[in-house]
Amino acid sequence: MSRRNFLLQLAAGGVVLLTGAGCGVRRGAGNIPGTIVGANSKTGHLLRNGGPYPEPHHTVEVNVLIVGGGISGLSAKRWLQQEGVKDVLLLEMDDHFGGNATYGQNPVSKYPWGAHYIPVPDLRNREILDFLHQIGTITGFDTAGLPIYNEYHLCHDPEERLFIDGIWQDGIVPENGVPAADKEQFRRFSAEVAAFKAAVGSDGRDAFAIPVDTSSADAVYRDLDRISFRQYLTQKGYTSRYLLWYLEYGCKDDFGTNLDGTSAWAGIHYFACRKGRGVNANSSSVLTWPEGNGFLMEHLKSQCVANEIKLRQLVYRIEPVDGGGMNAYVADMVTGKGFIVHAQKLLLATPQMVNKHLLKGYGERTAACAAFAYAPWLIANITVNGFEKQHGMPLCWDNVFYGKPSVGYVNANHQDLGRVSKNVLTFYKSYTDHDPATERNRLYAKTRSELLDEILDELDFVHPGITAQIEHADLWLWGHGMVAPKVGFMWGADRTAAAQPIDNRVFFGHSDLSGISIFEEAFYRGIHAAQQIVTAS
Amino acid sequence: MPKKDLAADKSNHLKPSGVLLLLSVFVVATCGLIYELIAGTLASYLLGDSILQFSTIIGTYLFFMGVGSWLSKYVDGNLIKWFVSVEILVGLVGGCSAPLLFAIFEQVASFRIVLYAIVGITGVLVGLEIPLLMRVLKNNYVFKDLVSGIFTFDYVGGLLASFLFPLLLVPYLGLIRTSLLFGFLNLAVAWVVLYRFHEVRTYRRAYNTIIGGALLVFAALFVYAEKIMTFSETATYQDKVIYSKSTPYQRIVLTKNSREVRLYLNGNLQFSSNDEYRYHEALIHPAMQNMPNADRVLVLGGGDGLAVREILKYPGVGAVTLVDLDPGMTKMFQEDPMLVKLNNRSLLSTKVKVVNDDAYAFVRRDSGKYRVIIVDFPDPSNYSVGKLYTTAFYNEIYRILSDSGVVVVQSTSPYIGRRSFWCIDHTMANVGFHTIPYHAYVPSFGEWGFVLATKNYCWKNEGSFPAGLRFLNTDNLREMMFFPPDMAEVPTDVNKLNNQVLVRYFESDWGPYTH
Ligand SMILES: Cc1cc2nc3c(=O)[nH]c(=O)nc-3n(C[C@H](O)[C@H](O)[C@H](O)COP(=O)(O)OP(=O)(O)OC[C@H]3O[C@@H](n4cnc5c(N)ncnc54)[C@H](O)[C@@H]3O)c2cc1C
Repeated sequence: MSRRNFLLQLAAGGVVLLTGAGCGVRRGAGNIPGTIVGANSKTGHLLRNGGPYPEPHHTVEVNVLIVGGGISGLSAKRWLQQEGVKDVLLLEMDDHFGGNATYGQNPVSKYPWGAHYIPVPDLRNREILDFLHQIGTITGFDTAGLPIYNEYHLCHDPEERLFIDGIWQDGIVPENGVPAADKEQFRRFSAEVAAFKAAVGSDGRDAFAIPVDTSSADAVYRDLDRISFRQYLTQKGYTSRYLLWYLEYGCKDDFGTNLDGTSAWAGIHYFACRKGRGVNANSSSVLTWPEGNGFLMEHLKSQCVANEIKLRQLVYRIEPVDGGGMNAYVADMVTGKGFIVHAQKLLLATPQMVNKHLLKGYGERTAACAAFAYAPWLIANITVNGFEKQHGMPLCWDNVFYGKPSVGYVNANHQDLGRVSKNVLTFYKSYTDHDPATERNRLYAKTRSELLDEILDELDFVHPGITAQIEHADLWLWGHGMVAPKVGFMWGADRTAAAQPIDNRVFFGHSDLSGISIFEEAFYRGIHAAQQIVTAS
Repeated sequence: MPKKDLAADKSNHLKPSGVLLLLSVFVVATCGLIYELIAGTLASYLLGDSILQFSTIIGTYLFFMGVGSWLSKYVDGNLIKWFVSVEILVGLVGGCSAPLLFAIFEQVASFRIVLYAIVGITGVLVGLEIPLLMRVLKNNYVFKDLVSGIFTFDYVGGLLASFLFPLLLVPYLGLIRTSLLFGFLNLAVAWVVLYRFHEVRTYRRAYNTIIGGALLVFAALFVYAEKIMTFSETATYQDKVIYSKSTPYQRIVLTKNSREVRLYLNGNLQFSSNDEYRYHEALIHPAMQNMPNADRVLVLGGGDGLAVREILKYPGVGAVTLVDLDPGMTKMFQEDPMLVKLNNRSLLSTKVKVVNDDAYAFVRRDSGKYRVIIVDFPDPSNYSVGKLYTTAFYNEIYRILSDSGVVVVQSTSPYIGRRSFWCIDHTMANVGFHTIPYHAYVPSFGEWGFVLATKNYCWKNEGSFPAGLRFLNTDNLREMMFFPPDMAEVPTDVNKLNNQVLVRYFESDWGPYTH
């Protein structure tokens, strides 16, 4: 530790101490304006309790019905439209599209309520590159075919910082005060990951690829799914608490799981799958917008014929029709009336925990659905009126706190070009200490002010006195946030089983079928299911 | 010497207590003088004219000490209790004086009132102390010993204070912490007296609460001293502050001495009226002499209207749009008579349109086509200003500049910020501009750099300069384009939104000069 750092820390420590003593006078969390928004619990409950549903009044005939207006459903709709498939209807139960990629807005900024970025895609993900080109995120290609990214969409510098030992350091990999032996383990781990990144299996496929299902089938790689990430790291002799913290932070951030709850294959995949390139970008570049992936969602949506995608329509039951096709029972949450959609093909872009209810008539399939577990998340969008003096690296896009339960916050205004006097901070926390169901119940039992207290404990630690600067704080609870890539789940039987079409009538396209929740998987799952439908017709 | 006829039951206490009280005279005297010095220093920071400030403050202080001494005859009863009360009050008022004065620095009018109120109150309290002490001690000492003892301590304390203050306290502790430290000493004296004297036994509890509370306040202020200080930044300015205002965007301070007016934004010097003509002639005329009849001119930054003043020297100029974020700034340069004289009413001209908006937002929205664009932003010292020097920004400038147009960018010092300067040049070249870097010497800034750029090599050093320029002519402009070895081009990366190398260069270039 340099002398300057040491002094800075002393100074920072002094401030923390003093405000620590001032904790008692912190403004009560309950006094901060705001609410718990989103999480359309009314419709959700209806589904879980199995009703009561309105009597169906009439039947609508369609060629294809897509259930779910998240990224995967919209991507499927767009694809079918591009392929010239007519008469496609998409129903979404919520009052907005986007699912986990939804967003909000206040006078200060737009902000994400879930997904907030994508890495620069692999050049082989042609369909994503085309989409990004259509929407102006890619402005063109050079003569070698490398994409040129829109500079306004690439994450601006400075990108990441970590609060450690009382100071903000540049980058998230702990550096400040980390002993040489630990740094050596970081080096070893990155070398190992680099090898996995370059590895190609005997089947000619990348060992770790996006979409997940295009990864090599070689046992050397897939067997990693049989142990937890922690077991893997122990076997390899990784002991540095800094490294383990960093990797667990990664699991929490990407999957909402801890080291024990993550398959080693999935843990490595996160580091080894990013291979994107561009004229002005490399594999560690990311694309982001104030509204997060809500930006991508809006573009997907705008490419869909407007009156063929409908909000507040809950599909609560499906059944095969003797003469062909499927009946889907819909509760129209706008009018409170019910109706039936008779579709030749049905595409479920809904998570398996929903499909479990919809597929009641299909015994063994519901068992596969039940194997999907989802991590609960708490998101807060917090409007702050300026920061106190900060020590070290200034405000970045991603701001992480070493050794704290949350995964930190993202500055939603980061991509703003003008001067900002206020910021919206999007705070992310996944609950990983116990199994998801226990954590979910606990999370739902908490009041807004208890949740805010949890958040402020962390925020006030890294920004002493910030509570007084908070003008507004809205919270969002994702009971079933992200699918958990548990040990054995990535390459186990359930995931494959749940993705199989039924009777050439029901097709499955939600991102949870990939075992990891990312935009790319949702995008491709939607396209994949749409292609299956086109082939089947 | 102590008298012999001391009451038997007090003999254990009295002698040491006497010394104790004399010691407290010493502390009290030191504290009193320190408060006075603090008030004087602060007043001359803010109001200028230190001779006037110091003499009026010392005068006021002495007068109020007199008032205090006179009032002391009305004080009766438990004298020790009075002494403790006075001591605590001096500690509180004196200790908080510097933080308080810094905090209200904004309001120049009420500043004077508070300043003299504080000086008056400390004067009265300190004036009470000595007579009180003399009365407490009069039974213990022979009169001549008493007077000699008390005044010796008093004056030695004064001497100590006057040496400590400039040599140790201000440089190492700063004004706020000094004032708090001496407030603390006053409280300590009160506390010690409280515990050494039976007479005030019964009040210990009550006084302890007060002293405890005061100590907490002091501790908090002590830790936040830095913040209170930056809140007003008074100490930065050597000259008399004639105007100061915090807008939502920045802190504007104007200072004046017999020769010049200086404008500071957030503590950074923007211009000195002495040599700003050099900077603004160099910024404007190389581009304008080539385009004397430019129909549309855009100025980004430069809310002081001085760049526009130079532009308006070309009678053929059409419309000038000035974009500056801060309405507080442009308004001031449209209304204040002295400043309007300085910019020659440029911001009031019918040719000029003032737009208060973020420059980046304006440029992204705007569709051009300007003949001349002047980019006069603050130096790229942080990431949010750094964005205004990126390829993304210059691409927008390229788009809104007419094909035969000229753009000029103020580009920090090529001498001190050599890599920063060339990074700006390379970044502009990267988006397709043909760049012509040049530099000028501005005494209050040093060697200063500019990058002129065109789309099609259309610029020539051939136009005629308006009459009355004091610095620029065709010959020395040619020389300004020559970079001696210590400022010569160095290789750099290109500054982009997603790497912001310029801010990092700037930090390391200027680091040695600012830390
Ligand atoms: C907190 C959080 C942060 C994330 N961050 C990122 C990130 O930064 N980058 C990233 O790439 N990914 C991120 N993700 C993953 C994100 O889930 C995926 O990127 C993607 O948005 C998933 O899309 P989807 O369509 O597969 O699923 P969903 O978003 O779950 O969409 C399913 C839709 O179906 C609707 N629906 C469900 N049941 C019914 C029914 N019965 N009838 C009608 N409609 C129904 C739902 O309302 C929902 O709109 C994050 C997820 C969470 C929870």
